[in-house]
This record gives sequence, C-alpha cells and structure tokens, in this order.
Amino acid sequence: MKLHGIKPMQDMHVNVTPLIDIVMCLIIFFLLVGHIAKQASIKGVRIPVAANGKGMTNRSNELIINVVPRHSSMAGVQRRPRIWVWGQQVRLGDLGGLLRTDKRKHPNLKLILRADQSIHYRYIAPILADCAGAGIDSIHFMARRP
Amino acid sequence: MAAHVGPNMTPMVDVVMVILIFFMLGSSFATRNWYLTNNTPAIKGGLHNIKTRAMPATRINIRLQMRGHRAMAMIGVFQTEDLKRQLFRYLVKKKKLFGKKVKVILTPDNNVPYQDVITVYSNCIKAQYHQVAFGYPMK
Repeated sequence: MKLHGIKPMQDMHVNVTPLIDIVMCLIIFFLLVGHIAKQASIKGVRIPVAANGKGMTNRSNELIINVVPRHSSMAGVQRRPRIWVWGQQVRLGDLGGLLRTDKRKHPNLKLILRADQSIHYRYIAPILADCAGAGIDSIHFMARRP
Repeated sequence: MAAHVGPNMTPMVDVVMVILIFFMLGSSFATRNWYLTNNTPAIKGGLHNIKTRAMPATRINIRLQMRGHRAMAMIGVFQTEDLKRQLFRYLVKKKKLFGKKVKVILTPDNNVPYQDVITVYSNCIKAQYHQVAFGYPMK
C-alpha cells in the first residue's frame, strides 16, 4: 500500500562548511598582511611631499628603512632619530652590517627610505653612505603626492 | 536518502574571492605614496673624494644651506629660496646648455630638513637629470 502525502525526510540545514573555510582564510590573510604592514611601516613618520615620482610595480626584495624623529625639549635642537627596519630598532652603527648581509642574501635588494620630512640631513647622509658602502646602488625615496 | 537542499555556496565563494582580489588591487593603486628613485649612491667623503667613480665631465653642484628658517639653493653664483619654480627653471636652462652628460651633486648642509632635500631632488628628476648624487655636508 502506498502512503500519499508523506514526503521523505530532508536535511534542511544550511551547509556552512565552505563559509567557515572562506572566513578563516580571510582572517588569516588579513592577520598576516596586517602583521607584515605593521612591521614594514612604523607610525609617526610624516612622509615628505614631492611633485613628481613613480609607483613601484615590483615589490619583491624590498627593504624599508624607517627614520622616525624624536621630540626634543630644546627648541631648534634635533635629537638623533630612531631607525627601524622590519619592526626592529637598529642603531646607526649597525645599519651598514645589516645592509651588507641583506645585500648578500638578496642581490636585487631594493631599498626604500621612509624618513620624516623634518629630519635633518646630518642623519640622512650616513644612511645613504651605508647604502653605498653595502653596494646598494638603487634607493627609492618614499614621498607623498601633493 | 536525504537530499541536500541547503543554499549553493559556490557563487558566494566566487563573489567573495572577486571582491577580495578587487580590494587587494584597489588598495595598491589607491596609495598616496610614490617613489623617487636614485641610481647613484652617495659620495662617501664628500666632494673631495669625487674621483672614486667615473663621472661625466660636466657637473652641477647644488648646495643647500639654511638661511633663517628657509633653505637656500646655491649653484655657483645663482642663489634662490624658491626651491620649486625658480630652481626648476634654472635647472632646465642648464640642462639645455650642457646636454645629456651632466651630473648633479646635491650637497645639503647638516641642518637642512629632509623635505627640502626631496623637493630639490624631485626638481632634478623633473628637469630630466638622470644622474643625481648626494654629497656629504661640508664641515
């Protein structure tokens, strides 16, 4: 005897497994990107303005040197700025060795100088000299569009 | 046998991935930063040590010095506080005079702010000088 009007049982739940997969992937992606971006760029740097420049298409093998100013209580006197590379503070005396090591590891090293606009040239010149000493012959000065 | 009647997640996953790629690309284009590239390293030891590299015969030495709160550019007898327009016009004029094989050596004083250095360097690039080196401040 056939039973009419009774439908077979169906699973009415939404399959959330792909959704969770995607959400987890997104969370991991943004965590990693955020972590890398935080390491690469230090806050408190006012980028200088430049009327012309170029974008960078190939971002591989780049090393960002952040030069962060330190506030001084004496007017007109600038304290030695802090130098940050990959989220770690580096002493100016150690920068040359670090650059040479990186240059040996990555021969196509691209150096990006991200310095505050108020930093005096006396603190920029040694960094440029360290780059020259390490054999880095291409420096990219980060600037802001007007 | 239980049939699967849940929503089809495939289009949603497709759309999410497209949105993700769109924002990744969009964020890289929307950045306000750009770069001034220098292919000539600083001259260690300053202008006195200039013979360590093969240099073009013609050089333009730009010295940047602070006058009060403003930086002044000096090229020989030419002096200007207008680091944007007037200096750019002068550099373009010199470029026409000297031709392609000319090198600029930018030597700011110790207390010149980085912003002024970048402004002058940006002008050199704009005036089509392809070899710009940074000198050490004179003591």
